[in-house]
Amino acid sequence: MAQDRTGYPFAAVVGQDAVKKALIWNLINPHIGGVLISGEKGTAKSTLVRGINCIAPDVCLVELPLNVTEDRLCGNINFEHAVKYGEKRFEDGILKHAHGNVLYVDEVNLLSDHIVKTLLESASSGINVVEREGISYRHPSRFVLAGSMNPEEGCLRPQFLDRFGLYVEVCSEQDSRIRAEIIRRRVEYERDPAAFCLKWQEESERLRSDIRRAKAALARIEVTANAMQLAASMAREGNCAGHRAELVIVETAKAIAALDFRVAINISDIKEAAKYALPHRTREKQTPPPYSQPQQEPQEEQELQEQQQQQEPQEEPVASGDDRQDHPREQSKKDHSNAGQDDRSDPNNQDDQESDQEQEGAEGQNELIDLPEESFIVSRWLKDTGIHTVQKGSGKRSLVKTSSRQGRYVRYRYPINQDLQDIAFDATLRAAALHQAAREKNGRAVAVETSDIRVKVREKRTGNTIIFVVDASGSMGANKRMKAVKGAILSLLNDAYQKRDKVGMIAFKNHSAELLLGITRSVEMAEKKLASLPTGGRTPLAAGLNLAYEIVKASRVKDKDILPVIVLISDGRATYCERGRDAFGEAVAAGQRIGAEKIKSIVIDTDESYIKLNLSEKLAKSMNADRFVIDDLRAQNLVAAVSLSV
Amino acid sequence: MKNDIKKYPFTAIVGQERMKLALILNVINPFLGGVLIRGEKGTAKSTAVRSLADMLPERPQVEGCRFSCSPLQQETLCSECAEKLANQKRLNTISSKMKVIDLPVSATEDRVVGTLDIEYAIKKGEKKFEPGILAQANRNILYVDEVNLLDDHVVDILLDSAAMGINTIEREGISFSHPARFTLVGTMNPEEGDLRPQLLDRFGLVVDVAGENDTAQRVEVIKRRLAYEKEPVAFCCSYAGEQSAVAEKINMAKERLPRVSFEDELLEMAARISIALGVDGHRADIVMIKTAMTIAAFNGKEKAGKDELREAAAYVLPHRMRRKPFDDSQMGTDSIEEMIGRILDSGE
Repeated sequence: MAQDRTGYPFAAVVGQDAVKKALIWNLINPHIGGVLISGEKGTAKSTLVRGINCIAPDVCLVELPLNVTEDRLCGNINFEHAVKYGEKRFEDGILKHAHGNVLYVDEVNLLSDHIVKTLLESASSGINVVEREGISYRHPSRFVLAGSMNPEEGCLRPQFLDRFGLYVEVCSEQDSRIRAEIIRRRVEYERDPAAFCLKWQEESERLRSDIRRAKAALARIEVTANAMQLAASMAREGNCAGHRAELVIVETAKAIAALDFRVAINISDIKEAAKYALPHRTREKQTPPPYSQPQQEPQEEQELQEQQQQQEPQEEPVASGDDRQDHPREQSKKDHSNAGQDDRSDPNNQDDQESDQEQEGAEGQNELIDLPEESFIVSRWLKDTGIHTVQKGSGKRSLVKTSSRQGRYVRYRYPINQDLQDIAFDATLRAAALHQAAREKNGRAVAVETSDIRVKVREKRTGNTIIFVVDASGSMGANKRMKAVKGAILSLLNDAYQKRDKVGMIAFKNHSAELLLGITRSVEMAEKKLASLPTGGRTPLAAGLNLAYEIVKASRVKDKDILPVIVLISDGRATYCERGRDAFGEAVAAGQRIGAEKIKSIVIDTDESYIKLNLSEKLAKSMNADRFVIDDLRAQNLVAAVSLSV
Repeated sequence: MKNDIKKYPFTAIVGQERMKLALILNVINPFLGGVLIRGEKGTAKSTAVRSLADMLPERPQVEGCRFSCSPLQQETLCSECAEKLANQKRLNTISSKMKVIDLPVSATEDRVVGTLDIEYAIKKGEKKFEPGILAQANRNILYVDEVNLLDDHVVDILLDSAAMGINTIEREGISFSHPARFTLVGTMNPEEGDLRPQLLDRFGLVVDVAGENDTAQRVEVIKRRLAYEKEPVAFCCSYAGEQSAVAEKINMAKERLPRVSFEDELLEMAARISIALGVDGHRADIVMIKTAMTIAAFNGKEKAGKDELREAAAYVLPHRMRRKPFDDSQMGTDSIEEMIGRILDSGE
């Protein structure tokens, strides 16, 4: 691909110094391992990476388009050569072009899983091994991997995250004068790209020669044992997996020193390097991983790390899983101002309150409507439901291989059972190419036979259909609990909106359950219904679960490929049942029915009373469901939630 | 059946002034980033787009080029035209009108970006690129109805190409790229679900349309439509004067645009507006200024000022304001205008 000499110049981008540094260091020292730039839209992420072409001394930028197919990535057999001469010859793929260069993937979190796997294999081994289409070929493939993403669109798998040497977060400029300068430059550029690039040429040249000089000086940089120790201890404090973190820190520090005309690394180099090398690898609770809180500043984190260093360096990091689980919940319980603020030490008081409210509700009089509290960013609460074969859908949560002709064509396979739908023509032709010498061609250049045919494998992300079953009884209205619950549901709806799930809503109180919202894509309607949901009356838990069951069955009849999820939000204190006296027992039976149908379910326990009856646990068991408390959903407590959901 | 059925005249569309202006602005300045039209059915969205293209004069095009290259802009020639130019030192040109290319909801990726020409491969044993819809769309209008129902990855490709001006294909054995500079017009009915915020941001302008509420206007819509269907030729003739006036105005605007300037402080005002309304990223600022400049050009002015900025903001901001998806998503246009007014007036 031709180098774009009139792309927006790197040096002309206003601000975004962190990104610039990360890119420059990588150009100086390719061993750093690349950079992942994460941030909201419109912040010059791709502009900066593409701008590398102006300042890189001897390296080009190779772009990996999102819709690339495997054959173009790895390389394949040269079709024309095979047809003309009957010989196998390798046709370079992107991985070959990328060797010794920078490989850039925009929107890296949207890349097909299969492509990611192939990329990772090459990136880690430094070699591309091609064993396909009758050819066997290998070539070196060492490149600097640069990626950009918008975290709103979804997160990156940990193994892939780790692959990036450095991590930088970007956000938009808030100073109006600087913003004005950004606009000014862009408008000027668009008016006359060539002139604009010329204007910035001197600056670009300066950068380029700086990089060249630093690159040459790199070999002479000395790394002392102290420096290595500091890097290692910082990595350990951050509880990073494996040893890549400290290596990246050291390599980055080398680049920093080289750029600064020095021959030895000092402490501030290491510290600066750590700011970029650790955020996406850290696994401690105080510094949440990047895909949950985009507002985290690298500076803040550095202070934190300095703090940790100043404390006894011999201190054991918080190791046991239990500790970690209790700790965050306690912490956020303090933050969680609205729920359970009344004395929990007096359970009688609370129960009285609750039964009062239930009674009132039963008479249809005092119903409370609570407004939802602030919503928060949600952790990965809904684990991928595995790979299924589904016909259609355009959501994002679960990856499915689809047998319809929609979805991304990423690679191909041999047809199964003579099913020749959705032929992969390019692969078929390549398969046929080699055998031309021996075939009757009847005036064509290529004769294709059935054995050559390959079919496409398509991938598509399908959203789930999430049915919220909300306990709207009086006990939920007590102590402002409903406020917190609505806040939690809002956050889940927010998450569903981003992942393109469908939602439905059932509320149960008094004597029955009601379908508030039929299954819809309009998450906004769900919100409206939620906001105006009153609480009051008894808790007909079984009715709620039964209605959910019916709804799911009905939807499955309409569309057998949906991926339904029932989310029950309740404290589990069933107090009303249709027949007999055991309300809770009835609820458990209803739960068992759901579990038996293998309908995926989740129970969110809102019970915050002092005496834990663990009702929701029993219920969750009957449904074969995962159980969370509201606090688990908060992104801050990602560590606990991750271990639960993944 | 007549072969050239006269299209309903652009200037005969009743009301919908904002939608019409948004489309015109994009024709004058294709770098604005396209228009997203949100609204119910039956509000002349498709009619407006097609009649606008019909109203514009013909322009030069390289003969036989699969990508409708312009012979006047040598930097943006496709590889085939560039080769021809190098070999023969000149390109044959013809005149043709701007077309409206439709992208159906069920479009698959290979039809959108293009793919391997299988027929050619089988007959000649050589690889050749078979152009897709993006190739046809170059220098034309790409009309995507129900853009919110398109597959996510197809919308991705669309917006990427629209932003870069180039379509790059690395798939199915093909490695190729060609110019893809088009005016993107998307329509959607918001009740059926929204576009991802990332995609929304890439649309330059947005217009919310609704049916006419005024009875007199509604009557006029019916009257005109009936008149058109009864005697298309006569109807179109009666609007010929207005049509050519607007077409001329557009032409003049195109010529004037490179000369339009603005006061420095306008930039800062734009920045402050975006910050106040909580807009993500900087695209909004840039598009706001460009739109203000285009508005000035269309109105015959050579300087863009506060009034133009105010008008531009109404097109550029509504779909970009950062909100949790559930705050009453249409922050009343009144309150937006109030806030903008305050910033503009205080910025003396």
